[in-house]
Amino acid sequence: MTVKYLRVVNRDQCIGCFSCMYACSRMVHNAAGSGKAALRVKAYTGVEGAFSIRVCARCEEPDCAAACPTGALTKAPGGGVRLKKELCISCMACVKACAIGALQWDEEEKRPLPCIHCGQCVKYCPNNVLALCEKEEECEPR
Amino acid sequence: MNGAILHVDMTTGTHRMIDDPELFGEFLGGTAVATELLFRHGDPKGDPLAPESPVIFAIGPFSSLFPVATKTVAMFKSPLSGELGESHAGGRMAMSLHEAGIEALVITGRAEKLSYLVIENDSAELKSASTFRGQSAAATERILREAEGKSGRKVSILRIGPAGERLSPMACATVDGSRHFGRLGLGAVLGSKNLKAIVISGTRTLPLACPKEFKAVYDILYDRVVKSKEMKKYHDLGTPANVRPLSLIRGLPTRNFSQGNFEGAEAISGERFAKDFLVQHTACAHCQCGCIHMAELREEFAPYHYSTNRVSYDYELIYAMGSMLSLSSPEDILKLLLFTEKQGWDAISLGCTLAWATESFLHGVLSLDDTGGVSLSFGDCGAYLEVLERMAKGESEFYRDLEMGCAFCAKKRGGLEWAIQYGGVEPGGYMTGENFAVTCLLGVRHSHLDDNGYSIDQNLLNAPKPLEEQVRAQVKEARWRMVLNSLVICLFARGVYDEEIILQGLDALGAKWDAGKLRELAAKALLRKHEWKRLCGFDPAALVVPEKMYTVQTSTGMIDRESLQQRIHLYLEEIRR
Repeated sequence: MTVKYLRVVNRDQCIGCFSCMYACSRMVHNAAGSGKAALRVKAYTGVEGAFSIRVCARCEEPDCAAACPTGALTKAPGGGVRLKKELCISCMACVKACAIGALQWDEEEKRPLPCIHCGQCVKYCPNNVLALCEKEEECEPR
Repeated sequence: MNGAILHVDMTTGTHRMIDDPELFGEFLGGTAVATELLFRHGDPKGDPLAPESPVIFAIGPFSSLFPVATKTVAMFKSPLSGELGESHAGGRMAMSLHEAGIEALVITGRAEKLSYLVIENDSAELKSASTFRGQSAAATERILREAEGKSGRKVSILRIGPAGERLSPMACATVDGSRHFGRLGLGAVLGSKNLKAIVISGTRTLPLACPKEFKAVYDILYDRVVKSKEMKKYHDLGTPANVRPLSLIRGLPTRNFSQGNFEGAEAISGERFAKDFLVQHTACAHCQCGCIHMAELREEFAPYHYSTNRVSYDYELIYAMGSMLSLSSPEDILKLLLFTEKQGWDAISLGCTLAWATESFLHGVLSLDDTGGVSLSFGDCGAYLEVLERMAKGESEFYRDLEMGCAFCAKKRGGLEWAIQYGGVEPGGYMTGENFAVTCLLGVRHSHLDDNGYSIDQNLLNAPKPLEEQVRAQVKEARWRMVLNSLVICLFARGVYDEEIILQGLDALGAKWDAGKLRELAAKALLRKHEWKRLCGFDPAALVVPEKMYTVQTSTGMIDRESLQQRIHLYLEEIRR
């Protein structure tokens, strides 16, 4: 199955409420809190209100998967990456390889949290910052 | 909840975690739990700034789990009122405490030198803050976010500004971006512990006990927060939407509560701030409303050279630094607020104290000798900025006194009748009538948020009600807020969280509560606070309303001495009922 495209389309409308991160943790991982989120809202101190949202870019050649020494993280046939938990050695090479800082780390389980492009974060964003599209050109980042 | 309480002793630099599920089982969380911890660790007769005097922070069962359960409760003995000190702040602190697995934090003792506390899950470490002594609240956050944010993890940073280091009883503690434990002098209490900042982070998430039920309750709340009108007003114009309507009904305190209608109300209205200065809304962690209004202040500091700062504003700030001082220019208000924010003062107490000083100067109670040559008059922003600068430098005894609050100044220098304070605490911005006066006198923290007094006053304009009914409604609301503040939700979401959804939420978390138990908690928590206040020496029989308040027109007419006494009597009877 081909996954959809998750994109940040209105970065400057973000209020930094972390609702997307809470939604991912809750809806995808059945966890209360924001620590299981497969995306990240970053706040920059000193520039009040400047938020940057990092979501999985669904790379054609994912650097995170290429960096994985055990083959635990691989490119998924439908887009994005998938994790074989039993092969993960918690080395964090994948997280370090993601230059945009989108791939998140599960601090409790000590393994990466690949995005499945399901769109729960989009559903719970109150300000249309995120979008989930069938085709990449439908939701070009602005 | 496990009832995890982290104790930190600043004197020894040690910490220990204890679990007290019984305490949280009986008192729910937040304000009710913090009150009990104050009984347990605090001495009502003690010096608020003594090392042994505790500072308690608590979150509740909904914190970080449901939308807009964003607040953390701080409890301490107030150096401003000398009795119950309670203040609430948003930001990311509740989220971070939750992720660290800490439901209450108790801090006692005094570090040998200025320090900051780093809490990471259940560990706590004291580090030296010597290099940033005297730094503004804003600079302290920048410094610590870099120093302690290396892990890339989300962290919450609570800190005091120079005012807290100077032990000003009107010093606040600032959380993350422009959120504050504003009232009653928490900044001084932290300063007295040599505690410049607390950095909190954690890695915990909570597996959902009943995912289906939890998500169903969450979705109802989410829709109410995002789609209903309950919270829209807080997002759109925010609380400054009240500036114009309150002025129209003579409820906007102007020139030190001389009158309730301000001729400059239009110029400092929420609409004007939004159109000309609002650049962004931001939010506390897990609040989809986003009520934080950020204005941009652009100043020309040399020809063709500009500085730009973002300053948060809301109704209370516009009242305290605007109409109270007869300032009708948003730029002037923002300049004062920016200075206040950096120093870490409580804007309400500061604005009221500046207003007292102005009236005292105009009446000749203060002279140019006292002010060091600064001529004070309502509407003169330049003079007020000069005063703030001298206060920050502690230039003379007069300027050092000013940051003690208006009650202190008036007792020492005169002008007590126009020092607008109740129990030592300067009030929120409402000149609506007797119900609000009762809020200020008998509200547990002398705060406009203790009940809905100002709202009852306003409703009387359309539908008069017997006095007894007004007092009963006020006490009912004060009690109900004990529940909201124990959960701990933001009071802006009080229209979102009704009893039914609260019980459903608790049920989805596997907590055993019913309506009867909630109401019992509410009544008990309110009484316990009053009990602590009385142990501190708070005496309802000795309550004093500033004389000036009997001589001015409010929204609902003049305040009547007898009627006020009757209300006080009924209120005290009602909370015991």
